[in-house]
Amino acid sequence: MELKICHLYPDVLNLYGDGGNIRCLTQRLNWRGIGVEVTKMPIGSKESLTGFDLIFIGGGQDFEQQVLLEDLHRGRDKELVAAIEDGVCVLAICGGYQMLGAYYETHDGKRCDFVGALDLWTVGAKKRMIGNYMYKVPEELGGFTVVGFENHSGQTRLGPGVKPLGQVLAGFGNNGEDGTEGAVYKNVFGTYSHGPLLPKNPDFADLLIRRALERKYGAAELTPLDDAAELLAHDEMCRRLGKR
Amino acid sequence: MSIRAFIAICLCKFLRLFSRLVHRGGTAMPGRWALKVCPNLLSILARGVKTVAVTGTNGKTTTSRMIEEGFAGQGLNYFANRSGANLLSGITTEFVMNSTLFGKCRKEYAVIECDEAAAVKVFPQLKPDVVLVLNLFRDQLDRYGEVTHTLENIRTALDSLPEPITVCLNADCSLTASLAEDGRHNYRFFGIDRGAVPTGKKSELSDASHCIRCKTEYEYDYITYGHLGGYRCPKCGYRRHETDYAVTDVTEQRADGSSVVLRTPDGAQLAEVNLPALYNVYNAVGAVAAMTEMGIPVKAAIGAVASFKCGFGRMESFQLGKAGAKVMLVKNPAGCNQVLDFLQNVKEKFVLVVCLNDRGADGTDVSWIWDAEFEKLRTLSGRLERVIVSGDRAADMAVRVKYAGINPRFVTLEHDYEKLVSSLENEERPVYMIPTYTAMLELRETLIRHCGGDEFWV
Ligand SMILES: [Zn+2]
Repeated sequence: MELKICHLYPDVLNLYGDGGNIRCLTQRLNWRGIGVEVTKMPIGSKESLTGFDLIFIGGGQDFEQQVLLEDLHRGRDKELVAAIEDGVCVLAICGGYQMLGAYYETHDGKRCDFVGALDLWTVGAKKRMIGNYMYKVPEELGGFTVVGFENHSGQTRLGPGVKPLGQVLAGFGNNGEDGTEGAVYKNVFGTYSHGPLLPKNPDFADLLIRRALERKYGAAELTPLDDAAELLAHDEMCRRLGKR
Repeated sequence: MSIRAFIAICLCKFLRLFSRLVHRGGTAMPGRWALKVCPNLLSILARGVKTVAVTGTNGKTTTSRMIEEGFAGQGLNYFANRSGANLLSGITTEFVMNSTLFGKCRKEYAVIECDEAAAVKVFPQLKPDVVLVLNLFRDQLDRYGEVTHTLENIRTALDSLPEPITVCLNADCSLTASLAEDGRHNYRFFGIDRGAVPTGKKSELSDASHCIRCKTEYEYDYITYGHLGGYRCPKCGYRRHETDYAVTDVTEQRADGSSVVLRTPDGAQLAEVNLPALYNVYNAVGAVAAMTEMGIPVKAAIGAVASFKCGFGRMESFQLGKAGAKVMLVKNPAGCNQVLDFLQNVKEKFVLVVCLNDRGADGTDVSWIWDAEFEKLRTLSGRLERVIVSGDRAADMAVRVKYAGINPRFVTLEHDYEKLVSSLENEERPVYMIPTYTAMLELRETLIRHCGGDEFWV
């Protein structure tokens, strides 16, 4: 068995240690004896997006967004929509998550058209939503708690075409108002939880791996791993946030 | 001088004395109150003092101490602030403590380390004669916002100065060097020239991969570390500036220092840098540039860098265990990678202690540990005996080390610094400790209690 992972735009969407998620997926596949091949697809790459089992998109600095939009609208956007409709597993974080939505509108009214693969949109606010936070994913996804760090000023709203990835237990989430965090559509998972999201949330990492393997091989039986270190970090943050 | 300023000075001196008496070393608090009474107090006190200001993400403290060494060696009547006092309030306190009650500074010169985000408030009042900008790296994002935002802050700070001054810029840092674009000041460039060191790999996590002017991806003739090196934009022509002060060759790199060839406006000569790792070579050449521009002879400036001894967390030694402990502060991926590179030079087996905190001064987001290449620990092949993780976010560090490929059997977690230091008292191996800022303050206190050392006011 082998999974082909695409790291999309690692050159510009790489803020806040997002690469930790690729390291995590790679290690957890290695430890289980499952092959993994990671392809980096920077801006300007002519390679096709087809043939990947999992696409990872990280967060980025505003300064570089313009470079990215140009590349996106040279055809990458249509490829992403096709991959998503085909059931390819996607993890999109922060800027990458916003990018899969319809558009981003700055607080002074300037609008950037995004990929439009997910029924959601983002409006810039003046207030930054920042800090450690946690949310709980619905039972059909496993019912586990996710801890992470969010840092965004965009407020994301979900349309009827997507479901929230979780309900906020502490922190802000999508917009700091409706209690939702992230979005799920088919095998796409979008979240504001940046940086080491997966290492500290092994249930989430394995959910992605399972979905990708099921799509490719029909069924997936994941060997359990010793997650003592990961769960300790997870539980310590839960305790800290629970006290607030 | 106004009565307002007089009251502010008296208040500040009193509060400083009081905080020393009750043994709380706060340098920021007295200045904060004084500024409430007299908001332009610093501009009054700094008048007539010849000042060099050092700013940038990494190396401010080390470089400021190097410059101080040069000032002391020349017998100049100077004072300096310390890293805990590098915001407007702390710098004001330092000036008050070196002034008479009537606002006359008793010192002729000042070496001022200035936080890169605070420059915009400090420079308009301080009006330095020479500004040294070392570098700009991604740092503590949640406090400062983006690295380009920090850059704009420094640009605004320099723009606010009424007279042209001398600004020493790192030529190898595309962000820092862009400060010369305004052209209002006299600019001097320092750096490490092509061929001085083997070229490094282009990091995919570069803090400045695209042209600051036109956003095209840079091409590099060589890379020293991080995004530093010989960059050029293929589209608009923005490129590394010619250097006035440059390391043209690094002839030797040792665990305790480097030997280099340094080219200055005075000609090329051999120089010793009495601290390890390439980032200290940058600090040294930056310090030589700033000292020379302040009027110190080049020879004396180079001598200062060679005789310089570091303290306070930037590679400080303690007599712990049988082979001693070294403490090296880390605060962002670029600095951390340099420390991990330094560890590759350690010849014998050693113990590594990593202390990770997430308080205000550390940056509350610890995601950066995933940008630092802890994978380098794997290549230490048997020399890394074990790892101890500590600090508020020790558990996160344990996960990071695990995914870097270190077997959790060799990793222990100890939150309590007292227990941590006690457990190392009979250690046979040398110990390398890499704490974040606030973790260092606590760790250092515990180390001093156990092994002695200088007390330090923060
Ligand atoms: Zn350009």
